[in-house]
Amino acid sequence: MSATIKPLVGKAGLTLLQIALAFVILLPFFWMVSVSLKPPTEPFAIPARLWPQNPTLDNYVTAFRPEFRTYFVNSLIVSLSTVAITVGLALPAAYSFTRAQTRLVFAIMGLVVAAQMFPASAIIIPIYKMMKGAGLLNTYVSLVIAYVTITLPVAIWMLRGFLARLPIELDEAAAIDGAGPLRTFIAIIVPLCRPGIVATAVFVLIVTWQEFLFALSFTSTRDMRTLPVGMNDFIGQYGIRYGELMASSVLISLPVVAVFFLLQRQFVAGVTAGAVKG
Amino acid sequence: MRSNDTDFRLSAQLGFQPLEKPRPRPALRRIARARPPKFAPRRGAWLTWMFLAPAVVLVGAMMYYPMIGTVVESFYSTSFINPHPQFVGLALYKKVFASGEFGQIVWNSCIWTVFVVLFQNLIGFLTALLLNQRLPTTGLMRSLVLLPWILPGVVGAILWRFMDDPQLGLINSFLLSLGLVDHGVAWLASTSTAMAAAIGAAVWKGFPFSTVIYLAALQNVDQEQIESAIIDGAGRVQRIVHVVLPSMREVIAINLVLTTILTFNYFDMIWVLTRGGPENATHIFPTKIYELGFGEFRFGEAATYGVFSILVLALLIAAYFLIQRSGLRWRTR
Repeated sequence: MSATIKPLVGKAGLTLLQIALAFVILLPFFWMVSVSLKPPTEPFAIPARLWPQNPTLDNYVTAFRPEFRTYFVNSLIVSLSTVAITVGLALPAAYSFTRAQTRLVFAIMGLVVAAQMFPASAIIIPIYKMMKGAGLLNTYVSLVIAYVTITLPVAIWMLRGFLARLPIELDEAAAIDGAGPLRTFIAIIVPLCRPGIVATAVFVLIVTWQEFLFALSFTSTRDMRTLPVGMNDFIGQYGIRYGELMASSVLISLPVVAVFFLLQRQFVAGVTAGAVKG
Repeated sequence: MRSNDTDFRLSAQLGFQPLEKPRPRPALRRIARARPPKFAPRRGAWLTWMFLAPAVVLVGAMMYYPMIGTVVESFYSTSFINPHPQFVGLALYKKVFASGEFGQIVWNSCIWTVFVVLFQNLIGFLTALLLNQRLPTTGLMRSLVLLPWILPGVVGAILWRFMDDPQLGLINSFLLSLGLVDHGVAWLASTSTAMAAAIGAAVWKGFPFSTVIYLAALQNVDQEQIESAIIDGAGRVQRIVHVVLPSMREVIAINLVLTTILTFNYFDMIWVLTRGGPENATHIFPTKIYELGFGEFRFGEAATYGVFSILVLALLIAAYFLIQRSGLRWRTR
């Protein structure tokens, strides 16, 4: 009797623990959405009420002001360009990294991959001066260059994990069939690496969508700001108008959260492939 | 080619399972064996370098070259009043060393990094164990757990500013209703609690990443070893201590170093929560560098702090590669 009940009790306990974990993870989110739906006076209730009493979309209407739309478009342009360029540069590099097994390539790529751990804050002043010298400050180009640079090492590392699993026999078979090296890469390797490309693209998108330090330093006018910097400005501008602040927070988070849930399996496989298998 | 393609994609779609190496079809293998594979690396050497060049040039020009730039910058003094750089040698290092601020920032960075890394990995590991159980809610929880991590950092910080608010925050409401405090506490405005509040927010935002890594590693643990441990009468805790932890040693070590590096560099959370205040109580290297450089136009002093953080990071990166190399050696043995 107790032999059948004991594991059941254990399972129930663990399920309860999982529910507690869900509570810890979701409570701040719930609070964010709840406050965003409250009319402007309601968040001031003491003690705080979890459920909005008179839910309204007013905050979303005010949050979606013209400047917010500008920031949104800026973020979109910068992020999507970065994703395309980073993946486009990282895939060939990662391919060469896995196929050319020479010490020199290993040493160089070791340095490239190690760069993902550099403190951006420590090198941002020289980069800022370089951008200023080139007249690129306060442009999309300066942000895209910076973002491609910071995401490229991680992207190469993630794609390397996928490419290393494609057997070298594939390349050799293609060579025997008469395909040149470039054609082998485009016609055989790239299609096979699709899951890796998707995972890497999602990762790069999540990183660039929220990047703050470069955007804060390189953009000086409102029309060039990205969403994170715009949000940071809102704090001062709105004082404690938390309803609007939370509504804009929800709007900023939605795109990445949606992409993540759509492509979750491939993304998790990609993030863990490099980290666990080394 | 077809079977390889589907094999590979299927294994990728298993999600948390490690990817299986796709097996080439027998025909392909025979052809590959029929010819010596020697010609493969030589073929297309030009392409290798063309493929590598853009990435190498970009990372070299935008990350390694600016690093030298930071060192050079630290020998020149600028200020808001006098924006023209003047060579001052090591004077800025002397100035920074002599100020009490430097010591405080080193101390803050240590506290911040140690506690965030410790809690993030501890909670990450425990939740990974929890999500490795077969339970009705496991599938859903595995999806939800990454939410804080994908939330944009600035949004996470604003959310926690709000959670910690003395009048409107959920945390104070909760503590008030339990009678643990008699008035709302301004967690982020007090020098004694601001750092703890920032650490809490960063752990909430960061632990899911550790969870996902440890979860994948847990699924790589040899099931036979666990079963034989069960036969030997090992309990849950004993299995974790004697079988699971030793086999995850390498992943844990790498993850510890990696999260240390990322936490040491983490700018967004503290900048949005407190801007390093109150009275420098939460200033760490990245926020101080930003404030000195872009807030006060003292690029030289900012660069001096930058040189220190590069040195710290160089040590950590060296540790990372040493662990990984020794890990590779363990595996091949």
